[in-house]
Amino acid sequence: MNLKKNISILKLPHLKKTAGMNSVRISPPKEVLLPMNMHSGQAAVPIVAEGEHVRVGQLIAREEGRNSSPVHATVSGVVKAIEPFGPTVAIRIESDGKMEKDPGVVPPEVHDLDEFLQAVRDSGIVGLGGAAFPLWAKLDAVRRSPIKTVLINGAECEPFITSDNRTMIEHSDLIVKGVALLKKYLLSEEFIIGIERNKPDAIAEMNRVFADDPSVTVKPLKSVYPQGAKQVLLYNATGKVVGPGQRLASLGVIIINVTSLAKMAEFMETGMPLVDKCLTLEGSAVKEPKNLVVPIGTPVSHIVEQAGGLCCEPGKLIFGGPMMGHTRESMDSPIIKATNAVIIFSEKDSRPVKSTACIHCGRCVANCPLGLNPTAFARAMEIDDQEERYAVLDKENVMLCMECGCCSYVCPARRPLVDTNKDAKRFVKKTKAAKDAMEKKEGGN
Amino acid sequence: MDKLIVSSAPHIHGRDTGRGIMLDVIIALLPAAAAAVIIFGLRALGVIAACVIASVLAEFLFNVCTRREQTVGDLSAVVTGLLLGLNLSASVPIWQCVVGSAFAIVIVKCLFGGLGHNFANPAITGRVFMLLAFSSVAGGAMPVVVELEASATPLELIASGSEQLPGLWDMFIGLRGGAVGETCIAALLAGYIYLVARKVIKWYVPAIFVGTVFLCFLAATGDFTVALYEILAGGLFLGAIFMATDYVTTPITDSGRMLFALGCGIITFVIRHFCAYPEGVSFSILAMNLVTPFLEKWTAKKPLGGS
Repeated sequence: MNLKKNISILKLPHLKKTAGMNSVRISPPKEVLLPMNMHSGQAAVPIVAEGEHVRVGQLIAREEGRNSSPVHATVSGVVKAIEPFGPTVAIRIESDGKMEKDPGVVPPEVHDLDEFLQAVRDSGIVGLGGAAFPLWAKLDAVRRSPIKTVLINGAECEPFITSDNRTMIEHSDLIVKGVALLKKYLLSEEFIIGIERNKPDAIAEMNRVFADDPSVTVKPLKSVYPQGAKQVLLYNATGKVVGPGQRLASLGVIIINVTSLAKMAEFMETGMPLVDKCLTLEGSAVKEPKNLVVPIGTPVSHIVEQAGGLCCEPGKLIFGGPMMGHTRESMDSPIIKATNAVIIFSEKDSRPVKSTACIHCGRCVANCPLGLNPTAFARAMEIDDQEERYAVLDKENVMLCMECGCCSYVCPARRPLVDTNKDAKRFVKKTKAAKDAMEKKEGGN
Repeated sequence: MDKLIVSSAPHIHGRDTGRGIMLDVIIALLPAAAAAVIIFGLRALGVIAACVIASVLAEFLFNVCTRREQTVGDLSAVVTGLLLGLNLSASVPIWQCVVGSAFAIVIVKCLFGGLGHNFANPAITGRVFMLLAFSSVAGGAMPVVVELEASATPLELIASGSEQLPGLWDMFIGLRGGAVGETCIAALLAGYIYLVARKVIKWYVPAIFVGTVFLCFLAATGDFTVALYEILAGGLFLGAIFMATDYVTTPITDSGRMLFALGCGIITFVIRHFCAYPEGVSFSILAMNLVTPFLEKWTAKKPLGGS
C-alpha cells in the first residue's frame, strides 16, 4: 500500500497573522510562579528557602529522578513562597524589577561528549515544541547508538503559532551554532530542517545561513496538519517509519525542535539557562496578537496587559495550539517552559460543542495521519469483557495514537474522539501493566 | 475571570456537521424530485410528500413514545422519506407510502438504535418491503407529459425482448416509465455533481457501481446500446448516487467502499440478466449492506508504524 497517500492530509486554516511580527520583550512581571513539573519526567526539587534572594539564571530547583530537569530563577527578587501546585509544588518569586543576572551564569566549559551532555542537562532545556521532554535525555541516546541524522523540527503546524518561525528568522545564527555543536559532540552527519511551506521567510533564511553546508538540508514541507508530529515529520522528511515497539533513536535519528536547538546554542555561548521563551499571543479575545519574549513563570494576565489587553470577555485560555493545547482555568496561570503560544478565545468561540450520533462517515479514518480507526476504538471501549476489549484495542494499534486531534476536528457529529482515544490508551496501559506484573509473579514462583 | 472554560483538545472544529451533510443530500435530491413532479405530475408530489411527512412523523412519534431525545432535527428522516418517495411509482396508494415510510423509520432505523446504528439502508429496505408486501411498487405509472406507446418500464421491455424501447435521449431526460425519481438521469447527475463538489460522497462509488453494470452487460451481450439502456434504465443512478453512498450502511474505508460498489454492480447485473426480477439495484445494495462489516474488516488500513 502506498503510505504516502495516507499521511497528514488535513488542511487547517493557518491563522498565522503574527508570522511577520518581530518578537518583543515584555517588561518583567511583578512576580513569577515556577512549577516543578514543567517537563515530562519526574518533578524537580526546590533548593531555595522562602525569603531567599535570587537572581536571573540562578538554580532554584535541582533535577530529581527519571528524565527530570532543573529549574532556574527567571527574574531577580525574593522567594515569596513555595506553594502546592497540582501534584507538585511551585516557587513564587517576587520580582525586584532589576532583572539582575546571577554571577554564576558563565559559559560552560565543554571539551567532550560527557561535558556537553552535562551542560545541556544543567541548562534546564526541554522539548520546546510542546512535549517538554528534557533535551539532555533525548541527546543521551547517543551513548547507546550513534545518531547519524538530526531532524530539526521547524514545521510549526498548529494554527496561530509563529514563535518557531520567529526563532528561525531572528536567531538563525544560534541554529547554525547549534548544528555545529551537535556535529562536534554527537558526531551527527546529516541535518534536515523540516519547515512547512507557509513559512517562506524562515525557509529563505535557513537556506541562506546553510548555503555552504552540504550536511544540512532545508526541507520545505506541505502545510498540512500534523506535519510537525514525530512519526509524520520523520516519514515526510526521511521516508523512515518507527516500527512497533521501536525507538526513534534506534533508527539513528533524533528530532529536535528548532527553538530548543537555538536555546541550547545560546546556553553554550552565554551560560544563561532556559529562563525566557518566545511565545505567540493570539485568539479572538486578544486585541493585538503579538510575538512576545516572556520570562517563564509569568502570569498570563501580565502578558495580556503588556500586549494591549483583551477586546472582549475571555471564554477559554489555551497553552499551546488550538489542536493539542491545554486549557487553563485562571488568567493568572503561569506560562511554563514549553508554552509556545497563549491563545485566548472569546466566549462565543469557547462554547462547548454538542455531540450527536456517529453516522459512520469515515472522515476520522480518512484524516488520521497514521491510518488508525477512531470509531473502532470507540466501539471497543463499549465491550464489557476486559480481556476482549484489551485484545481488540491492541489489535487496532490504539497506542500509536498521538492525540493530534484530527479525528475530533473533522467529525461532523462532534464526537469527542480524542477523549475516547485517551481513555482507550489509558485502559491498554493499565491492563498491560497488570498483565506484566502477573506474568512476573508467575515467573517468580 | 474565573469562568474560563476548561475542556480537552482540540479547541477548534471543521465546518461539516451531521445536519449540514443531510441538508446537502436533500439539496442534491431536489432536482430529481422536481423532475419527478414535471414528468409524472402532481401524483408524484403526493407520493414524495406522503413519504417525507410520514417518515418525520414516525421518527417523532417513536421518540415521544419511547421517551428518547427528539432527533428529527438531524434531518435524516427527511432524507429517508425523500429517497423512499423517489423510489416509488406514482401509482402507489398514499396509505402504502405511509406504511412503507413507517416501516423504514421505525423497524429498520429506530429499533436498531436510531441514526448510525442501522445496518441496512432504511429507504431501500422500505422499498423492498413494499415491493414484497404490496407488489406493483416499482413499475406501473407512465409519464404524464408525453404519450408513450408502451405501458411497461424499459427494463420490463428489455426483459420481454420488446422493440418499443424509448430513445436514449428520452431515457436520459426521464421520459419513460418507472419510479418517480429514478427516470431523469440528468437531474440525478446534477445531484451527483453537487454531492461530489461538497465532498459529501466519493466520486468513485457511483462511478464504479454504474461502470460495473455497464461493463458486465457489454461483456454479456456485446451490444453497446443494450449496455447503455441497462444503465439508464431502472433505479441504477438513483441507487448508485444516493444509496450506495449512504455512510451508515457502507464501509468506512475507501477501499471497502470501492469493493462495495463493485459488489453492487455485479449483483445488479446478475439479477437483471439471469433472474426473474427485471430490477436488481435495491437487492444488490441491501445484500452489500449485509457484508459491510466484513468488507470493513478486510480493508482495514495498516497504520503507520503499526503491526
